[in-house]
Amino acid sequence: MTPGEDRTPDAGGDDHLAAEYVLGVLPGNEREVLARRIATDAGFARLVEAWEARLSPLNSGYDEIEVPASVKQALDARLFGHGAPATPKSGLLQSLAFWRGLAVASLAAFFIAIAIPLVLPVATTPDTRLVASLAGDKTDVRYLAAYDARSSEIGLSHLAGDRAAGHDFELWIIKGKEPPVSLGVIPAGASVHLAVTPAHRDLIGSGALFAISLEPRGGSPTGKPTGPVVASGDLRAL
Amino acid sequence: MVPQQFTSHDVTKLIVRVSLKDRAAFDLLYRATSAKLFGVCLRVLSDRAEAEEALQEVFVKVWTKADRFVASELSPISWLVAIARNHAIDRIRARGQRTAAIDEAGELADERPGPEAQAIAEGERERLSACLGELEADRAAAVRGAYLNGDSYAELAERFSVPLNTMRTWLRRSLMKLKECLER
Repeated sequence: MTPGEDRTPDAGGDDHLAAEYVLGVLPGNEREVLARRIATDAGFARLVEAWEARLSPLNSGYDEIEVPASVKQALDARLFGHGAPATPKSGLLQSLAFWRGLAVASLAAFFIAIAIPLVLPVATTPDTRLVASLAGDKTDVRYLAAYDARSSEIGLSHLAGDRAAGHDFELWIIKGKEPPVSLGVIPAGASVHLAVTPAHRDLIGSGALFAISLEPRGGSPTGKPTGPVVASGDLRAL
Repeated sequence: MVPQQFTSHDVTKLIVRVSLKDRAAFDLLYRATSAKLFGVCLRVLSDRAEAEEALQEVFVKVWTKADRFVASELSPISWLVAIARNHAIDRIRARGQRTAAIDEAGELADERPGPEAQAIAEGERERLSACLGELEADRAAAVRGAYLNGDSYAELAERFSVPLNTMRTWLRRSLMKLKECLER
């Protein structure tokens, strides 16, 4: 292969190399050289991608194998440090992470509005579906929450962390500087739903915060969080 | 564990959101795809601890490189599997040799219906399967085995008892025949 003359789609040598790279049979040093080339040579990268597409039906030969939960925890620690996302309560509004999260959420909404119609035939209505990943600094409690405005329901997937004996988890929504408002005690279970009353619907929007506190069984007796916040996360438009 | 409710469109949206550093999307994407990608790592590396480590590295790449997906024409799951395969294969090449021979894996054909077996993929799979069927049986097996297990030319040459260059010629020709058949 001569440099400069390998841009045509059928440059034999390059196509062979792209095929071998995707098949995976080359020695490590040759793979390294080609990986660098993929990053810098768009023509070659296209040849590689074409082979990836051609051979991708073989991917069905890979089984799905459940991953131990410890792997995700180690991954999160590696990527995000030991702290979880935006910290709740204390200094929430001063929290850089919180405002950064808000900025990302707005950017995400903007980007999705622009990009999704290009990628997908049908765009979803913005803000009718929101998601939040809830986690805490000092606990292993993790939930994924999804809110669907059309059904006025919050779906909660329990990923990790158990409630203390004799206690319940209670879900709160915090909008702007307003005090937390209870959305109810979270039923036990891996996948549960909470109905949202009409009065609370306006509180749930992009940038608002979900928080989970540990409360006596049956929920906070005062209408305000009485126990520690064990997990929180901000809401993003899907 | 891997929920059926994540469609290819969902995974596309999740990757786009991950490219914007959306952690909730990252968690969902992990939930939707980690079992498949772990299957890739484990098959290639055939060592649980190493596959777990590799899977983490794969998702670190997904987190940092998700923006590149937007420019890709691959289906989202093919894009993710490609990252996992390349990473696992690079790891095994760096290791020099495999911990265990899994020869029988070469015979695991693509006929097994995978969990992601869906109507769209079905046609492509049948076409590739038919084109592999046009190759001589041992060469088709070599292509499949190399792809799924990450076998090197050296390992294949040994297994099929041919010189390395012969193996290289075989596979190159087989791949080009495959391409021609698929483009027919």
